[in-house]
Amino acid sequence: MTECVECGADVTLHDDLEVGEIVDCTTCGAELEVVETEPPVLERAPELEEDWGE
Amino acid sequence: MNVGILYSRIRKDEKLLLSELRDRGHDVTKIDVRKQRFNLAEAPEAFAELDIVVDRCLATSRSLYATRFCEAYGVPVVNSHDTAEVCSDKVKNSLALEAAGVPTPNTDVAFTTEAALESIEAFGYPCVLKPVIGSWGRLMAKIDSRDAAEAILEHKATLGHYEHKVFYVQEFVEKPGRDVRVLAIDGEPIAAMARSSDHWLTNAAKGAETDSFELDARAEELVAEASAAVGGGLLGVDLMEAGDDYTVHEVNHTVEFKALDGAVEEDVAGRVVDWLEETAASAADDGIEVTA
Repeated sequence: MTECVECGADVTLHDDLEVGEIVDCTTCGAELEVVETEPPVLERAPELEEDWGE
Repeated sequence: MNVGILYSRIRKDEKLLLSELRDRGHDVTKIDVRKQRFNLAEAPEAFAELDIVVDRCLATSRSLYATRFCEAYGVPVVNSHDTAEVCSDKVKNSLALEAAGVPTPNTDVAFTTEAALESIEAFGYPCVLKPVIGSWGRLMAKIDSRDAAEAILEHKATLGHYEHKVFYVQEFVEKPGRDVRVLAIDGEPIAAMARSSDHWLTNAAKGAETDSFELDARAEELVAEASAAVGGGLLGVDLMEAGDDYTVHEVNHTVEFKALDGAVEEDVAGRVVDWLEETAASAADDGIEVTA
């Protein structure tokens, strides 16, 4: 459990968390990027860029 | 082996790969490309001791440069820069398929709104206007009338990045409410799914429903040919059923497979890692070494 950097709500995290993964805040809907796992640190995820994709 | 993963975002696809690699006891070096500085002569520290690098960059621009740097440093990278170069650009992608004799939707490329409008009128309505760079079905336009064509072209010319002034105009293919995504490794189909939607766009990213799809011999043949046309590797080949044949509309080089993983029985990540092991062993036999 850690705090959403956008709205301050608690964000529940799963066990196999990876740096670089995106989690959603279920309270405000913000996309949050995992930048550390031990302990978990979240930052607001980058906005979608036009050349993203597969 | 030590596998480098180029990334800027870890999606479910990357998590499946990481999990499979670690379960098999491989070392994994996650390389966030946003934090790297690529020198012309010296590889970044993260690239030392790698047996193979897997390009999972989310951004096409980063994918193209990062794979080029890997090759300059002598680090085996999949997919290759050449494959990325062809697949990332719809014009090059279509040209490669056409040159290989793979059925692909008829397409014009024009550089001005006037010329693009002539192409649109020649194809008739509906037809399709696509960005040359892009994915997930974004900024695709099905054009139903001349009024719509004029408006879309004006918007692209006025508001768009210079790449939007390269107008990629394509015939509209009447498909049976679905298209087919095939994950292939060097032309061999690993898994296939149908992506169905009431919308004309059937991308999984647009919410299409996915279900396993059994390929017939013709589809397998086209997948092999399409893969070879773009230089091979781990690819997502997209086909549409058109009449009694298929048409291949594109090949993706940083293919997402999480939707496939849920739609088919095949252990997709396992097959990908099998291939990485073989490719790394082959590169080692060829004497490719990291110069970092």
